[in-house]
Amino acid sequence: MEYQILSDLKYTKSHEWVRLETNTAVMGITDYAQHQLSDVVYIEMPQLGDIFEKGSLIGEIESVKAVSEFYMPLSGEILEINNTLVEHPEFVNSSPYKEGWLVKIKINDLNEIDSFLTANQYKELIQKEENQ
Amino acid sequence: MIDFAGWMMPLQYESIVKEHETVRKNAGVFDISHMGEFLLEGGDVFDFLQYLMVNDLNLLEVGKSQYSVMCYENGTVVDDVIYYMENDTKFRMIVNAGNIDKDFQWVNKHVKDYNVKISNISKENCRLAFQGPNSDKLFNPLVDIDISELNRFYFTFCNLNNVPLLLARTGYTGESGFEMSFGVQFAEIVWNALLKTGASPIGLGARDSLRLEACYTLYGHETSDSITPIEANLGWIVKKKEGTDFIGKKILLDQKEKGTSRILVGLNLLDRGIIRENYKIFKNGENVGYITSGGYSPTLKKTIGLALVKTELSPIGTELEIEIRGKMLKAKVVPIPFFRNV
Repeated sequence: MEYQILSDLKYTKSHEWVRLETNTAVMGITDYAQHQLSDVVYIEMPQLGDIFEKGSLIGEIESVKAVSEFYMPLSGEILEINNTLVEHPEFVNSSPYKEGWLVKIKINDLNEIDSFLTANQYKELIQKEENQ
Repeated sequence: MIDFAGWMMPLQYESIVKEHETVRKNAGVFDISHMGEFLLEGGDVFDFLQYLMVNDLNLLEVGKSQYSVMCYENGTVVDDVIYYMENDTKFRMIVNAGNIDKDFQWVNKHVKDYNVKISNISKENCRLAFQGPNSDKLFNPLVDIDISELNRFYFTFCNLNNVPLLLARTGYTGESGFEMSFGVQFAEIVWNALLKTGASPIGLGARDSLRLEACYTLYGHETSDSITPIEANLGWIVKKKEGTDFIGKKILLDQKEKGTSRILVGLNLLDRGIIRENYKIFKNGENVGYITSGGYSPTLKKTIGLALVKTELSPIGTELEIEIRGKMLKAKVVPIPFFRNV
């Protein structure tokens, strides 16, 4: 199956995408991840102003099928959350890279962005997972 | 694809929500070949089933089917089943996929002196369901009978593209529709004919969300070997059957008359979130029950669940708390079924 992967984004092994801006980052889950979840019906978000370490569990995505978690891609503070998902959780499925974004983060340590996967590396990762 | 009782089955073909909505608005085709099918033949078959089942076979007639459960002596459930009376000496019974071996042993264990021969024809036949508000209109041109004459819970034999079918007006979705059984060699012919009507294939995910809205019990959830049919709100199928003994009769009639300490209720989640099976239920800090099945209702666009709770907390409107990963969310007891069109 073909999944959308945008070349201007960075990716994590836990299937989040990150759009880097100057000192902030917007994150969501990838097209591959939303396909695995199927229809998203509820998202448990972190609170505005919460501060997390990179890799911390910050929220949960409930689909019709199951519940799964999403993680902080970078250490920092939650600056914004996507409130439209309260009424329209299905945007995570229909538009994972745009309307379906999850949170905006104030980046604490710019050095952490070195650990992200590029679009090509992420593509290899999901091909591997698909073949398993 | 997921493993379900040893069968590789699609959880969804496209999307659980879309498939669910298709069955509520048009029609869907379900492959239910995983379910078991037994033939029971012999002069004592009526008396034998009357002894095994909690429901009363005197309500049956040739060409009609009946939903029932078979229970252990302690009143808990071996399986929930549906059987078809083909004639006075021949019944066909559909059982749950995960219980085929257990049921076959259970039925054989009790046959003793009854003149009944039991055959497991699960693998010889293929079973499909065709469900939805347009199912009559779409299905009628495919067969050599007028299906408008087939009433709910009745069945007949007919032909679809020269394939002989047992066709029943039954289902597990809360919509009108049919369930059919036929030789496995015809599987592709029938499957393709049903899809050609414009109906969509429906996976296990939507099968579960449809039956949850309609409040049809699922073995291992609302019924099990630790839950009685009275507790599962299936008291309506437990009949007095005066003058006839049946397995579990004493306990079940006693429970039906006096009530049980816990009972199945329907819940709406008032806070945002999703409730799922085995989540614990609290009232004033005390654990008072658990969720047997829960999820998102695509029709009602809210979170619904079935739960076994202390009977004193079963009145409609009772507020309860459900623990979801350490948080307490508010829920309310509501009337069930949540949704049915039939």
